[in-house]
Amino acid sequence: MNEFSDALGISASGLRAQATRLRYTSENIANTDTPGYRRKITSFEAHVEKGRPDGTVSSGPMRLDPSALARIHDPAHPMADEAGYYDGSNVNLLIEIADAREAQRSYEANLKIFDQTRQMSSALMDLLRR
Amino acid sequence: MYEDLSVFRIAFDAARHAGQRQAVVARNVANADTPGYRSQDIEPFSLSATKDSFAPKSTRQGHLSATEPARLWSVSNVAEPGSMSPNGNDVSLETEMLRAIDADRQHNRALAVYRHAMTVLRTSLGR
Repeated sequence: MNEFSDALGISASGLRAQATRLRYTSENIANTDTPGYRRKITSFEAHVEKGRPDGTVSSGPMRLDPSALARIHDPAHPMADEAGYYDGSNVNLLIEIADAREAQRSYEANLKIFDQTRQMSSALMDLLRR
Repeated sequence: MYEDLSVFRIAFDAARHAGQRQAVVARNVANADTPGYRSQDIEPFSLSATKDSFAPKSTRQGHLSATEPARLWSVSNVAEPGSMSPNGNDVSLETEMLRAIDADRQHNRALAVYRHAMTVLRTSLGR
């Protein structure tokens, strides 16, 4: 029984972490055309409780991608400099879509495990029902 | 006669093994994108592990052991060649699905054995 509640908690932490990642991805996609926007990234890490990892996962601190911003030539843009360039964002839509797909796949896997664990524990409860 | 029926104990141990394995699989899946995480599994269920005739007898759980209670099966890293991703994570979701289904089936099997033995007992009691 203890193992089942462990497993449910761990799966829930995985769901939460993937959802956070998906949120950053959607923020990035929404800000693709925002001048000077740097894409937000996060890295997962094992959650440490009382000095030892307890198996759950948490998304690490949000960081900004330090790669160079795109230089966009548009002399009519209000933020353009003398040469007619302004700094766009460094969001690459291809990367964001791939990231979102991976997050979705992992989310579904966690959900599946959660559901299966719930079924196993309810089968255990069925033994008591008679 | 009824105080120590080994069929119940074996079914109980098999179900507990499946539960523990499910927890390990859940941990693997949750950490499928954690950099540096290595996939884990527990040793397969076997009858010899459930006997533990060398274990000291205690009249109540917690008298002798200050350690964690009842971790019968050891958890170890399983290296799968070729599944290591660039960030040092070697969890393969497909393998984990397989393990989860395995654990689920073993759990169902153990519960079926338990329920059946219970039915036999009930029948012999005439209820």
